[in-house]
Amino acid sequence: MRAVKDPYEILGVATAASADDIQKAYRKLAKKLHPDLNPGNLEAEQKFKEVAGAYGLVGDTEKRRRFDNGEIDAAGAERPRQNYYRDYATSEQGHPYTDDSGFADFMDSEDTFAELLRRSARAQANRRGHDLEFRLPIEFIESIAGANRRLTLPDGSTLDVAIPPGIVEGQVLRLRGKGAAGSGKGGPGDALIEVEIKPDLSFTREGDGIYLELPVTLTEAVLGARIKVPTPTGAVTMTVPKGSNTGTTLRLRGKGAPKHAGGYGDQFVKLKVILPKEPNPELEAFVSGWESGKSYNPREEVAP
Amino acid sequence: MKISKEEFLSLAGMEHETLDAWIEEEWLRPRGSSAELNFTDIDIARARLIRELQADFGVNDEGVGVILNLVDQLYGMRRTLMELRQAIRITSEQD
Repeated sequence: MRAVKDPYEILGVATAASADDIQKAYRKLAKKLHPDLNPGNLEAEQKFKEVAGAYGLVGDTEKRRRFDNGEIDAAGAERPRQNYYRDYATSEQGHPYTDDSGFADFMDSEDTFAELLRRSARAQANRRGHDLEFRLPIEFIESIAGANRRLTLPDGSTLDVAIPPGIVEGQVLRLRGKGAAGSGKGGPGDALIEVEIKPDLSFTREGDGIYLELPVTLTEAVLGARIKVPTPTGAVTMTVPKGSNTGTTLRLRGKGAPKHAGGYGDQFVKLKVILPKEPNPELEAFVSGWESGKSYNPREEVAP
Repeated sequence: MKISKEEFLSLAGMEHETLDAWIEEEWLRPRGSSAELNFTDIDIARARLIRELQADFGVNDEGVGVILNLVDQLYGMRRTLMELRQAIRITSEQD
């Protein structure tokens, strides 16, 4: 841990100094060190923090009493502060308090320096607006099939976003001219929308392939069946071949994600045989009498 | 980010009358119309600076106006210097 300096020492006053003297000492130092009045002096900010922290402690009668009695120490007295005026005042975006009058006379002369200043002022006047970045969470199905979504921006305005089919996690959509307004002839910036795909309970995607685990009944697995299968673009009918098993994977051609080069990937449906929820006497009776079922050992290849 | 007048008052911890007086003095220059003022983060930071000038430094009203005017000029010059530095850097990279 960093050694904490004594607040009286930081303010340069005696431990017995009056509240008035402490305030005077603080004001004197603050005037010298305030970061907004010392934009080029990085050391001043650090010192100012110390001074403000020290004053926050011994400039307050109650806190000073507790500090003097050893009830609290100077640790943590430096209060973090969000932002100084100087953090905004030189931002390149421009702001309503910009004032170039401090060197306006320089711009009127004919030398190279004046030309540079004039050029810089013109660039400032015709600056392109900033790009604005947004995150847009969408459903998995929307990421495959595409969708139109309306984003509400922090300032209350809205932005219509067309999500192309087959978009992947983290892909960024650029909407030209939908960013912050520019100045002069600068034109607006772009809106950059980063797509976040919410995980889906049923579907997963790998490349162009879409994977789905689908429960089937014992009857469907043993005898085969035509069943309905969901895909991101709607349900389709699929044939479950006779003698299918848990883990049997069936391919639905062209029901996957759109490919870059055109066309579509496939959807893979992995079957999962599910017995009826309630115990069934008929099934039990059949299985008890089913000799070949009893002699088959599916664990033969599993190491003992 | 746009901030409404009500939000600004609560974020900056100010009273209506004080804000009106500061706008009247042009210490704060929010955008928008007088019916619907729009503030941004820079206005909050500037309000904090003004309050510190008054409360911590003991600057009176006349002094605040003078200081803000000089501060704005200082930052205007700093920004231009930064741009010039950038312009020179680009020029020398092209050489």
